[in-house]
Amino acid sequence: MRFATRTALLLGKSIGSASRAFKFGGGSTLPGRVARRLDPAFVSDLVKELPLGCALITGTNGKTTTSTLLASILDRAGMTPVHNRTGANLMAGIASALIREADAGGTLAGRLGLFEVDEAALPDAIAETSPRLVLVNNLFRDQLDRYGELDTLASKMKKAIVTLDPSRTVALNADDPLVASIGAGLEQKVMYYGIDDESYASDTMQHAADSKHCAACGGRLEYDYYLFGHLGRYKCPACGASRPDTDVAATSIEMLGMEGTRCTLRFPGGTADLSIPLPGLYNVYNILAAMTASLALGVEPEVVLGAVEDFTAAFGRVERVQAGNRDIMMILAKNPAGFNEVIRTLTFAPGKKTVMLALNDNIADGRDVSWIWDVDFEMFRGRLADVVCSGLRAWDMALRIKYAGVGEMSLATEPDLAKALDAGLIAAGRTGTLYVIPTYTAMLDLRKTMVDRGLVTPYWEDN
Amino acid sequence: MTVRIGWLYPDLMNIYGDRGNIMTLVQRCKWRGIPVEVDELAPGDPVVEGRVDIFFMGGGQDREQEIVYRDLLEVKGAALKREIDLGAAALVICGGYQLFGKYYRPFEGEELAGIEVFDAYTVAGKKRCIGNVVATSALGGPSGTIVGFENHSGKTYLGDGCTPLGMVTVGFGNNAEDRTEGAIYRGAIGTYLHGSLLPKNPGVADFLIEKALARREEGVRLDPLDDALELKAHDSAVVRARKTH
Repeated sequence: MRFATRTALLLGKSIGSASRAFKFGGGSTLPGRVARRLDPAFVSDLVKELPLGCALITGTNGKTTTSTLLASILDRAGMTPVHNRTGANLMAGIASALIREADAGGTLAGRLGLFEVDEAALPDAIAETSPRLVLVNNLFRDQLDRYGELDTLASKMKKAIVTLDPSRTVALNADDPLVASIGAGLEQKVMYYGIDDESYASDTMQHAADSKHCAACGGRLEYDYYLFGHLGRYKCPACGASRPDTDVAATSIEMLGMEGTRCTLRFPGGTADLSIPLPGLYNVYNILAAMTASLALGVEPEVVLGAVEDFTAAFGRVERVQAGNRDIMMILAKNPAGFNEVIRTLTFAPGKKTVMLALNDNIADGRDVSWIWDVDFEMFRGRLADVVCSGLRAWDMALRIKYAGVGEMSLATEPDLAKALDAGLIAAGRTGTLYVIPTYTAMLDLRKTMVDRGLVTPYWEDN
Repeated sequence: MTVRIGWLYPDLMNIYGDRGNIMTLVQRCKWRGIPVEVDELAPGDPVVEGRVDIFFMGGGQDREQEIVYRDLLEVKGAALKREIDLGAAALVICGGYQLFGKYYRPFEGEELAGIEVFDAYTVAGKKRCIGNVVATSALGGPSGTIVGFENHSGKTYLGDGCTPLGMVTVGFGNNAEDRTEGAIYRGAIGTYLHGSLLPKNPGVADFLIEKALARREEGVRLDPLDDALELKAHDSAVVRARKTH
């Protein structure tokens, strides 16, 4: 390792320790920002320590779910990833992840760099990490104000991708016309994934058209059907471009409400039935993305499928109940990974939330509640209007929230679940939404309370 | 006067929410206006004389403990013992606690030498001790008890050179035989109560902070904090522990 890299690494590590200790924030980006300023070649030098190279995951939606799932697949395959799991997905975040996972001598605790990358940062990330795999999951309009036109963004991505060595792989969502267009004419190996099933398709777009023109010739695209936003089966009558055939696909999709989604996965060399306890087609895309990426990285299909089943089992389901004019959204969270994902999802949408946290310690929940100290409740900072802690371990949860320093909102603690639900509904206001995050047996008890009260029969959230 | 915490092997010894203990030490210093910093000490990093005031090591899985064991023997062990003899505080949990004793005797193979901070030894046990623990302890604050969760199969026996952290009234403790739980030697505490020990046991946290400050200045007294929530969480966990055993 070069002297400059080592100096930058040591400086970054001490900044990281300090920021974690003081909780002044920025711990997931500041060390990397400083290290890169000190040594602009910091990332490109340090990733050379990774024997299995790097993989980059980008796209407007699902980056975090996809890369978190991919990380657990890689773990199981013995390809321990160095992963910017905090969702800090600009170059500084990637550099910080490397700093965190490196020892003072520059030896990394993982073998493969797995980086979730902001779409706009992809060209830099490609230049600095020379990845063996780049995956683009989708490009939605949400980011327009930050990045300018989607087409410009896609062509910048493509320009960076063509510089890669031809031995590298690019994985693309075939159902997103703009994303798929990145693969046209590439020397690199291209793998496409998508949903090969139109049973849940519609003939109109779900919201404003993000990609209605052909990226190759500008002609207007014709859709056979839409699946999710602008994703679907399309072709360009002007130049003949059309949705590419898929290497990995979901077929026979069955949306099961309460049970989540069931589908058949088709991949090179086989098929497998999969039950996904996660709502929505977008989660099917996330699973397809992670599966395609891991196959591209050389993981055996059986290993991928086993990890996917375990991973999805760790996630909660979303249950939505109406209580008068108020909504109750109940999301099961039973371990730190699932809980973090729920918090991230909640805090992603704008506005301060009213939240009820229900922690039980029955056998089915796990007697030991220490795990709540591994959940990043700090993500709630500045995002909560009110919080009610409940369940058999209500006071443990309240104490955790106190230490998370989420501040300002009122903190109520009521071990009785039914009473806590009332307090939460009052706090949510006349027409508000109460987000309830229970552990398993607390969820069962709460569901019973709601049924006893004759609230509308629960239905399962679908998108 | 800055309190410096030395977090031993944070990437290796961090199962069961151990970082809750670091958060507690940091916050309880900050709430009192005491500057606090955390050094992360990875394998290979030296223990610099007089630098760290409170050492912390959590529990780990076998593969990780193997790496830690070697690093303690080759790099840090003697220096850690020296620092504790010079007045540094320490909290070591589960695997960390065992490695701070004289030796660990597995079912088969050679004894693993410890760094001998505690006059204690551990032998592999057949039965796993899992569950809530309540123990009477001088560091137990108003209730005179500490509460936590244990999950270990090693059985630890104390010699005369250290005193138990407490005496269990619920749970197994050091060896499921003599009711002792944990060990104290000067400012160092070893215990099987893993994960989030300190949040619900503020008396133990403040003992460590007090020892840290005493190293720099005599007669320092800690400002009291509003521990209503901490004590409520402690008391309800004690009730729950009695019910679940």
